[in-house]
Amino acid sequence: MPRHIVRLVLIMVGFAVLAYGAKQFFTVDSFYQYGHYRGSSVADIASDKPKYKGTAYCASCHAPQLAEWSNGIHNRPDIGKVVRCEVCHSAGGERDVRGTFEHVSTGPDHPKNLKMVVPKDTRQLCTLCHERMTGRPLQQRQIVVAEHAGTQQCSVCHNPHSPRLNLVSAASTAQAGDAAAGKAKAAACAGCHGAEGVSVNAPGPTLAGQHAAYLHDALKAYIEGTRSDPMMNAGAQGLSDDDAANIAAYYAGVTCVSSLDAAKQATLQDKTTAPKCAACHGADGNSTNPSWPKLIGLSKAYLVNSLKAYKGGARKNGMMAGVVKDMSDADMDNVAAYYANATCK
Amino acid sequence: MDALFHASPFTGYVYPNETVIPWTVLIVVYPYLTGLVAGAFTISSLYQVFGFTQLRPVAHFALLISLCCMLTVPLPLLLHLGQPERAFNAMITPHVTSAFAVFGYAAGFYIILLVLETWFVFRPHIVQQAQQRTGVMRWFYSILSLGSYDLSEKAMSYDRKWLFTLAIIGIPGAHGLHGYVGFVFGSLKSREWWSSDLMPVIFLLSAIISGTAFVIVLYVVSCKLRKVSIDLSCMKVMAYALWGFMMFTLLIEGVEFLSLVYRGREGIEVILEFVTGPLIIPFFILQFGIGSVLPLIVITFLIWRGTSGTALIVGITGSAILVLLAVLMMRYNVVIGGQEISKTAKGLIAYHPPILGREGLLAAGIVLTVPLILLSVLVRLFTPWHDSPRTA
Amino acid sequence: MQQNEQLENQPDEQLEKQQKERRDFLGCLGGAIACGAATVVASAASSAAVAATAGGAVPPIPNFDWSKHQWAFGVDAERCIGCLRCVEACKRENNVAPDAHHFRTWVERYVTLEGEEKARIDSQADPANIAASGTDGQYRFANRYKDAKVEKAFFVPKLCNHCTHPACVQVCPTGATYKTEDGAVLIDHTYCIGCQYCVQACPYGARFFNEEKGVTDKCTWCYHRITKGLQPACVEVCPVSARIFGDRNDKQSLISQFIQNHRVQVLRPETGNAPNVFYVGIDKDVS
Repeated sequence: MPRHIVRLVLIMVGFAVLAYGAKQFFTVDSFYQYGHYRGSSVADIASDKPKYKGTAYCASCHAPQLAEWSNGIHNRPDIGKVVRCEVCHSAGGERDVRGTFEHVSTGPDHPKNLKMVVPKDTRQLCTLCHERMTGRPLQQRQIVVAEHAGTQQCSVCHNPHSPRLNLVSAASTAQAGDAAAGKAKAAACAGCHGAEGVSVNAPGPTLAGQHAAYLHDALKAYIEGTRSDPMMNAGAQGLSDDDAANIAAYYAGVTCVSSLDAAKQATLQDKTTAPKCAACHGADGNSTNPSWPKLIGLSKAYLVNSLKAYKGGARKNGMMAGVVKDMSDADMDNVAAYYANATCK
Repeated sequence: MDALFHASPFTGYVYPNETVIPWTVLIVVYPYLTGLVAGAFTISSLYQVFGFTQLRPVAHFALLISLCCMLTVPLPLLLHLGQPERAFNAMITPHVTSAFAVFGYAAGFYIILLVLETWFVFRPHIVQQAQQRTGVMRWFYSILSLGSYDLSEKAMSYDRKWLFTLAIIGIPGAHGLHGYVGFVFGSLKSREWWSSDLMPVIFLLSAIISGTAFVIVLYVVSCKLRKVSIDLSCMKVMAYALWGFMMFTLLIEGVEFLSLVYRGREGIEVILEFVTGPLIIPFFILQFGIGSVLPLIVITFLIWRGTSGTALIVGITGSAILVLLAVLMMRYNVVIGGQEISKTAKGLIAYHPPILGREGLLAAGIVLTVPLILLSVLVRLFTPWHDSPRTA
Repeated sequence: MQQNEQLENQPDEQLEKQQKERRDFLGCLGGAIACGAATVVASAASSAAVAATAGGAVPPIPNFDWSKHQWAFGVDAERCIGCLRCVEACKRENNVAPDAHHFRTWVERYVTLEGEEKARIDSQADPANIAASGTDGQYRFANRYKDAKVEKAFFVPKLCNHCTHPACVQVCPTGATYKTEDGAVLIDHTYCIGCQYCVQACPYGARFFNEEKGVTDKCTWCYHRITKGLQPACVEVCPVSARIFGDRNDKQSLISQFIQNHRVQVLRPETGNAPNVFYVGIDKDVS
């Protein structure tokens, strides 16, 4: 055989051996271990750390919130509807309490800071599931946003952790005060609010039988200055939070007395306004939710003043601002007259 | 700033992930190049194996063209890969059910075959140069000759046997390789536009015509550059080959399209909307009209009238250029067109290739010039010309 | 009961075997064409290696044995409210690019208007829905049909079907994507060459190209979660239990019950991929 053929064949054999050797050499060790792939990649992929941690992880720091949620409408495993913490608050594993991130995620919408995601714009958040939308199954609670709440945030009326109204509210978890201790502190209040919290002709409103949670919140607002009234801001000064809770507990425990307003004959003329109030304050003024005040025992003048204060912005409450926005002076008179007749229950 | 990806607008409904087209113009270039390989090799084999002696002036040239195109084939693929440095994974652990993995081996095997065949064809030339040249070039040629200057009758008869065997293996090899590229597309059941048993045949036939046309054009150009006369009988044989294969290609493509429309399976409305809308110009006008029917008519006319001389050369060369365009459009319409029809069969994606960038038209154009650059080097190293003075 | 199972399994196994033989044959054929002896030797060596280790060996994942599980996924489209919490959770859990063109899971909306024959379909890639969410990285369906006369409308969540005969695995040239013993189709991001052949082969559009990493990407059923006893992120956050995930080997699991108690469907059964995501409440337009 000619020399060049022999050499060519030798080169080809050499190449084949080299190629086969290279193939063997470069084949990753765990390849073919379980099949035609890198066997160690299975464990590699499985070793990634989960970011969504589940409610148990959140519960370790946020027990009160979890307690609110677990009894509410957002936790109904029996009907297959469970809105877990991370649905609204995003992945818990993205925030490591020890200060190091398990995953440093990328992109503008992946929060990197340690703070928990508390969605501010509940109108954007809640409507993801609850806006009335074509294609959404009928058993899903849905609202037409404009008709339901105008421009209000959902969180004004609803506690997102347990959103159904008149069930469990954030206020219910507040600590109950000591009524006896409160009675002693309340001596100073009697001047304006009347003995036993029943104001007859005194300048202050009747407090007897009011929800403790509401009274506590109101006092706190005066202490902190978020609600302003010359008398009350001065009077509340020096009160501790415990004092406030005690005073609230005392007045809540006193027997309710119906309004002594003279205009008993006043009836509701505008049927469209009162139902708005009734949703929270009750049709008879006896609200069942401790966050919202009862309207019993209050004078017409006090009610009108309050409504005007909400409308003028002197008293700030998102819900009330929305309600009074479209009310005329006549409407306010009307409603106040109606609730001034409310009787205790 | 170059965007990380290029999202395309769409009509109807497409899967959200489909808005980024996975295979772009580089994957148009790749089957185009393999097609040129197969076609040019066919011309070379017609002389080498089947004794078409009229093709002698282009036989060795066609072999070099085939080699240059083949060496370029991996380039668009590598450019397209997300991780080109890992490309050898497909060779180290080839997944035998994958058309791509087998392609790696098939292409590798075919490159070796082409190199061997080229070596045998040019061995007398190499030996001659090794003895005549001096300096670096002497070293270059003597290494290529493997240190054996044996050109005896016995050695040459061995060479002829090897050459014949290589050409015999090479014909199914080159055509198999390209038919296989058709299989890469045709075997995908996810796309109605690709999923066809005729795909390998269409790819193969269009490959042969594009390769033949490429040889015609380059032969004419090379003759003009070298200022030698063009062999008319050689041109005529190539024109016949072009005509015959084009006939088949047109028929099969027509049948394929007809059966697609006639079967009218799920999604045919969208396909019809596609071919009668965005595809009118690239498919019916460029690929079929100007690229296929027009050259067919021109060549038919030339043969019928027995035209010769400059008119014949201009006619054939012009037709060949149109055919090259038609086959490029065919690759474009298959590769890009297939992805513009959504897998949902309910929508269309409008892909407009960017000019710049790795997946842009410029990159694809550069890739297409690489075989020409390689060729201009190789023809200087290995003289492939067999200009016979009698056809002057 | 057990006998029953065996009977049911038998045709499956036979089919499996036939298909394996077919694949092996095709493989050998391809190999022979490819480079003759070298590849045949190599593939023979590799199949021998597979045979040697296939019995018994399990990947070293803590407290997890893949031979004891067979995962499956259920979608109850009648429950889906289209809130897209699953989509956002998936993107965060798996670091998917926050835009409208790369999804491991997405939700489609099918709306048939009165007098129209075909459903109008849209998803997060639709410009109207991108506009509704405000940014590319957050997802919300635009309330675009609120004033229209609608005959029928529903949402359908989509994700990788983790098919029994995955077309994507079949076409992968390197073995960078594969099906695990417990039924998940995974991608080895350190081995993928980024050719995107699998993206083409998937009839469901479940795969996409991760430009940042230069590799293809898709749903893993949160393999890093399910191997730790957790649910996939999308299932974890679904507020209405429209997504169900579990182990088919456990006859009491939610997914086994789901498949048992409903007439389930799979998407595009004609492709032969045999998906493992089972749907309830989808319509003729869904594919």
